[in-house]
Amino acid sequence: MLKNYSKFVTTLFCGFLGVVVAANALTPDKSFSEMENRNLAQKPVVSLNGLLTGKFMSEYESYVTDQFAGRDGWTAAKAAIELASGKQENNGVYFCGGSTLITRFDAPDAEKVEKNLTYINKFAGLSSVPVYFGLIPGAATVWADRLPEGAPNYDQKLVIDRAAQSTAAQFIDLYTPLMEHKSEEIFYRTDHHWTSLGAYYGYTGVAGALGLTPVPLTDYVKTTVSTDFYGTVFSSSGVRWVRPDSMDTYVPEDGVTVTSYTYDAQGNPVEVARQLYDESFLAKKDKYAMFLGGQQALGVVRTGHTDKPKLLLIRDSYSDSLVPFLTPHFSEIHLIDLRYYKQSAAQYIQDNGIDTALVLYSVPNFVSDTNLVWLGR
Amino acid sequence: MVFSSVFFLFTYLPIVLLLYYITPLKLRNLVLLAVNLVFYAWGEPVYILIMFLSIAIDYTHGLLVEKFKGRGEDRKARWVVASSVFFNLALLFFFKYWDFIAGSLAGMGLTFMPRLGLSLPIGISFYTFQTMSYTIDVYRGDARAQRSIVNFGTFVTLFPQLIAGPIIKYKDLGDQIDRRTHTAGRFASGVQVFVVGLAKKVLLANNLGMLWDTYKALPAGSLTTAGAWLGVVAFSLQLYFDFSGYSDMAVGLGRMLGFEFGPNFNYPYISRSLTEFWRRWHISLGSWFREYLYIPLGGNRVGKGRLFLNLMVVWAATGIWHGASWNFLLWGLYYGLLLAAEKFFLGRWLERRPVWFQHVYALFFILLGWAIFALEDFAQMGPYLAALFGFAGGGLWDSGFLYYFRAYLPMLLVAVLASTPAGKGVWTRLEETPKKLVLPVLLLLGLLISTCYLVDATYNPFLYFRF
Repeated sequence: MLKNYSKFVTTLFCGFLGVVVAANALTPDKSFSEMENRNLAQKPVVSLNGLLTGKFMSEYESYVTDQFAGRDGWTAAKAAIELASGKQENNGVYFCGGSTLITRFDAPDAEKVEKNLTYINKFAGLSSVPVYFGLIPGAATVWADRLPEGAPNYDQKLVIDRAAQSTAAQFIDLYTPLMEHKSEEIFYRTDHHWTSLGAYYGYTGVAGALGLTPVPLTDYVKTTVSTDFYGTVFSSSGVRWVRPDSMDTYVPEDGVTVTSYTYDAQGNPVEVARQLYDESFLAKKDKYAMFLGGQQALGVVRTGHTDKPKLLLIRDSYSDSLVPFLTPHFSEIHLIDLRYYKQSAAQYIQDNGIDTALVLYSVPNFVSDTNLVWLGR
Repeated sequence: MVFSSVFFLFTYLPIVLLLYYITPLKLRNLVLLAVNLVFYAWGEPVYILIMFLSIAIDYTHGLLVEKFKGRGEDRKARWVVASSVFFNLALLFFFKYWDFIAGSLAGMGLTFMPRLGLSLPIGISFYTFQTMSYTIDVYRGDARAQRSIVNFGTFVTLFPQLIAGPIIKYKDLGDQIDRRTHTAGRFASGVQVFVVGLAKKVLLANNLGMLWDTYKALPAGSLTTAGAWLGVVAFSLQLYFDFSGYSDMAVGLGRMLGFEFGPNFNYPYISRSLTEFWRRWHISLGSWFREYLYIPLGGNRVGKGRLFLNLMVVWAATGIWHGASWNFLLWGLYYGLLLAAEKFFLGRWLERRPVWFQHVYALFFILLGWAIFALEDFAQMGPYLAALFGFAGGGLWDSGFLYYFRAYLPMLLVAVLASTPAGKGVWTRLEETPKKLVLPVLLLLGLLISTCYLVDATYNPFLYFRF
């Protein structure tokens, strides 16, 4: 190589490193990534202990990668290259036809599934009121025919059947009503949750099991609240070439109040008012949190139908969009999230005059959940 | 710290290059030693002490060997060499093999060795071999003892080859440690080799590694014969591109700092025999064992029985060097037997067969060897090997195999092509002008695409935070 050309190559390489270093130095650090839905690592503080244990080093590496300039863009480019190289999945998400992204579901840990089922049986034994238990199949199973040809996919029906067979609670079949309507838009194409329409069919299943008469779908007026929802599967896939989802609501929120029970910084109990639909989330990335305002340890939905019974719902986030459909049938719906609520649910039933308890999880959440153990106390 | 990380590429490397080149020539080894130590301590803050110990021991041993040799006291010099070999092997034994032996003994009901549960200091297999070669080279008169502890420390800790080789003998590097030239030509060629290595590791090895991980994790009952072969092919390519990519990055970084390391891989998968394969695979390790173990044992100039024994000793050592586990020993002995067979009769028979047959023969045994190498658990290895030979729980093939085969086909084709000299052939035949135009485009693409994959690897959306 000629000397000048060598200098050019050297400059090119050092220039590339320099540009990236400068871009990283000039972009201000962010505290939260909307795309990844998590807090980003911040610059760690140097300490002797941190240096000796290596904690400082690993934190610093996390900081550099989390704050990397144009992080989302690099990730999107990688997904596009994967697609171009013939892949039909990226970061555990299948590229499906019709602008649909579906999170891959692999064989769950059978031991864990059994354990979680045992905790629910324990709860059914402890509870002074009837306990119902339902598992919601995810898009990977209901929309299995939309997956790439031959894509490995564990049938969630197997988990549901196992639960139905072994549970001491009264089992609710949600598989059948969802499968009957699988050609409709019952899941978001870019998010792992069911749509309000999907939640409605889930509601018909729940109502059937509880002996309630579901409100016919035709009685509702559908309201489209957003047409540019990009959900969690969109985020994790890195795929940026799909159409956004629409979000609808069916049930009017008139007369419904929501209270979230939590603690302030000093540890004193406080009550925060919430709404059935919090439209402020529609301006953010995490639009699904519009339903009941997202995560909470304990929330109570009061409907005004004071003559109706009280429901305790042990839930994951799928229930947030189901709750509106349940409002005509109950005076109060108490929502417990076991990740944050660490007291006895059986005791809660007694203390609050609950009439019916319902444990409702999506299969992917249920097989990986580590907090159901709290139900057995 | 690994080369294929965002932190290395965009924080560590720019700082090192900047510091190194603004320092006057005379002080560069001092800077290099300092950054080497940071490089090592970054992942192993406490084990840096072992590194210091190793440097101190071998530095003094080298000086002593030379002193005794100078006085004609050969016996004493030999004792010092023996002591150095002892210290190095003791370090290696203690950290790498203690728990393995203790565990194996416990399996037989012997519990006098407690298990220590120490983590393996990164690169210890590489740097103990390098420092051992130093005292031996000084004794043999192949190198002069290093007087400067800074220079010696720089040799032991040289970051480009510290944690994954190539294993560089002191006699090949000593002069460069003392004096080396820094030219734009060498830097630019270093850039090219580095980017090729980075792309090999990040784009090919990591990608094919995911395919292997899928098949490795499959329960025996759902493994198919076609899938088992696809898995082992993916692992073979992953290992080659991972390791040779890392060696390329080492060579490239070395050149950026003015060093010239020998090649470590030479298209091993185009070999026509296993003897040839080991001349092309991990060259620096093979040559280390040849020079410091096989030849001292008598090499080829011994009777057939002794030769067989020597080969088995060398290959058992080579096998167990790769990791403290029985499957690596088995893998080493597997090669010992095959290489002995080639030496004694198979090689001559093979030469008279058609070329395609020789390739098929070599690849078949290489792939089978990698299956033994990759599966540490014998309970998993058995069913996997059985699946390769048609006794698979899941039949010959299934829809999962077709899905993965289709999805990875382009990547596999690129990887197979890249493991032959075809690309190099095209490149060398290219005229100067198009070469000059294409090179910067390829370099930038390699860097940009690799960065995409490196950033993505740290991208972990936390979905279940809010369910």
